[in-house]
Amino acid sequence: MEGLNFNLIDISYLDLIISLGLIIVAAGISKWQGMYLEGDLIVGAVRTFIQLLAVGYILKYIFAFDRWYLIIFIILIMIIIASLTVTQRQKKRTIELPFIVGFAMTAGSGITVFVVTQILLQIKPWYEPHYLIPLAGMVIGNSMNGSTLAIDRIDSEIKSRKMEIEAYLALGATARQAAGASIRAAMRAAMIPTINSMMVVGIVALPGMMTGQILSGTSPLIAVKYQIIIMYMIALSVAISSYLLTNIRFNRYFTSDHRLKEESL
Amino acid sequence: MNKPKIELHKIEKIKNGITILKDINLKFSSGKRHILIGPSGAGKTTLLRLLNRMDEPTFGEILYDGKNFKDIPVLDLRRRIGMVFQIPIIFDGSVKDNLTVPYRLRVIPSPIKQDELIKILELSGLQSDFLERKASELSVGEKQRLTVARALINKPDVLLLDEPTSALDHAAGIKLLESIKELNEVLGLTIIMVTHQLEYASLLGGRIIHLVNGTIVREQESEDFFLNSEII
Repeated sequence: MEGLNFNLIDISYLDLIISLGLIIVAAGISKWQGMYLEGDLIVGAVRTFIQLLAVGYILKYIFAFDRWYLIIFIILIMIIIASLTVTQRQKKRTIELPFIVGFAMTAGSGITVFVVTQILLQIKPWYEPHYLIPLAGMVIGNSMNGSTLAIDRIDSEIKSRKMEIEAYLALGATARQAAGASIRAAMRAAMIPTINSMMVVGIVALPGMMTGQILSGTSPLIAVKYQIIIMYMIALSVAISSYLLTNIRFNRYFTSDHRLKEESL
Repeated sequence: MNKPKIELHKIEKIKNGITILKDINLKFSSGKRHILIGPSGAGKTTLLRLLNRMDEPTFGEILYDGKNFKDIPVLDLRRRIGMVFQIPIIFDGSVKDNLTVPYRLRVIPSPIKQDELIKILELSGLQSDFLERKASELSVGEKQRLTVARALINKPDVLLLDEPTSALDHAAGIKLLESIKELNEVLGLTIIMVTHQLEYASLLGGRIIHLVNGTIVREQESEDFFLNSEII
């Protein structure tokens, strides 16, 4: 393996605390310029510190324990938290929404992670946490953003296209046909950030995971290959989850006999 | 009197706890023109929307050719009872693209016949050279004619019109009404139009149904109706 003679410098806790100085400088600029973001910056910095450190310890334990059910449990927790986050960001929060999001993200992430880890990389054992957890995490995180955009957009599209939808229904269209343009617009909105990042990756910015791999001593070429696969995984996962989400979500605006529900708009 | 195309029995519509329509018993005769008039908030549009199941009554039943509305597949019903809205809703693309939407919505798309499109377009008061024009570039009056033509592609028996002249200037409004009258006479189409403009109601003629506060206060042929000017 290339890059083995690279000496990784470990970061001590003192180093981490000193790095907080960067945030203090940022907070200083905020205060100086009257941005009123000092509080948020400090809270954000402390949360980053605690959350990531906690995750680090949890992962260390999981990797050492090496049990498939624990890995699946962690991935399920990721999906649940992501689903609740997507729901919280919506103006119209319905009881079924976190379940729909959870289902769509499980399907989108599950299919892509399965294809890549089991068919492409053929990891052994099948639940090898060094692969499964970071890959699932990357895919779920990006699906979360895509899902938020998809739901937000389908809700606003149906509302703003109410008259067009009724014109279609009056011509004998099914609810699915009448909402077709709204569904397509929502799926596009969910996919565009992923496509944009595929367009500029490596040119405008180096992706976080690739940077991490390089820093930990992996050859840049290997890191790049992983990053390419990850970008493709994200694209498929966002496509599947936004397709499922928009196609389930639009139904709440229609009755079974193809009428637009005024009260849900 | 012609046999009824649509019959309403004891129709009541309640929305958000407010009674919009109450005890409506009405018959719309086949091949005849009907005009729903009344002040705003009288329930005219609500009533019209019940007639192609864009809305459902809270109580009562509606029959189409003697058959309960609910026993007819809703998509078939909407093809038999076309609807034109107050504001003309135009889809992307050319006039032809708009006219062919109803074909494309069917499970088994029927072949598009160019001469049929032209015939329908002309019946709606637009010339055949409009077919390739961009629909968004038409005038409001032309757009409304296009929505009438588009509704006719499904070959409906009934055409519902919700204040179709309200977005149009006076001259365009009168031209549209003349076309609607012709559609009724040439195709034998049953017309049910909502308007609050008495001039347009008298111009179209037919059976006038006067609604106030969700109930029918008078129903008469237009000649008799307009003889008495105190009624509205």
